[in-house]
Amino acid sequence: MTPVDEDRLTDYSEDGVDLTLIRWMLSLSPAERLQVLEQHVDDILRIRELNAGKR
Amino acid sequence: MPEKGRFLRTLCALHDDGVDFIVVGGMAAVLDGAPINTFDVDVVHSRNEKNIDCLLKVLEALDAVYRIQPERRIRPNASHLASAGGQNLITRYGPLDLLGTIGRNLGYEDLLPHSVEMEVGEGVLVKVLDLETLIIIKEELGGEKDRAVLPVLRRTLEERRRAGI
Repeated sequence: MTPVDEDRLTDYSEDGVDLTLIRWMLSLSPAERLQVLEQHVDDILRIRELNAGKR
Repeated sequence: MPEKGRFLRTLCALHDDGVDFIVVGGMAAVLDGAPINTFDVDVVHSRNEKNIDCLLKVLEALDAVYRIQPERRIRPNASHLASAGGQNLITRYGPLDLLGTIGRNLGYEDLLPHSVEMEVGEGVLVKVLDLETLIIIKEELGGEKDRAVLPVLRRTLEERRRAGI
């Protein structure tokens, strides 16, 4: 792993990708990654439903 | 223990009935560690006769119909599943895309050497397209939707290599 500059609070690639988010995902097992995806999608669909017909 | 989600239920249904398939698309990217979202399950299935029979039984149990006009309740048949094209279905657990081939006409047998087995929960092991191949296919397709996700996939691959994963 590349050493992390301790004063730096964010880490983006040159093309703007959040590398901290990638490292966090890679710290999870595939089953945990699937759970994160399930939760995100369920939350997004719930919010969409709550706001259906309001816009 | 968290309640089993819809994606996992879909994968379990295919796995438990012995369907030969490889997870591809956005879900493969997530399982490979890319922080992206997707709303459907994309799989490439083996198109041999036995597997298609098996798949049809699972699709019936999942109440799968084409999602373009769900009210007509059109069900996929064996000849649909034997084709190289894609079947965009809606099931009791949400959208499911069954793909005969992806990229430059790559079918199940072509993709098998480029897949890795992963546990997705409850001891269920499924084959997932590896990130390198997913990137190559998206680069070849070159569509706007595919290009948009490529930076995240490429950086994820770099981070995986850096971490020795």
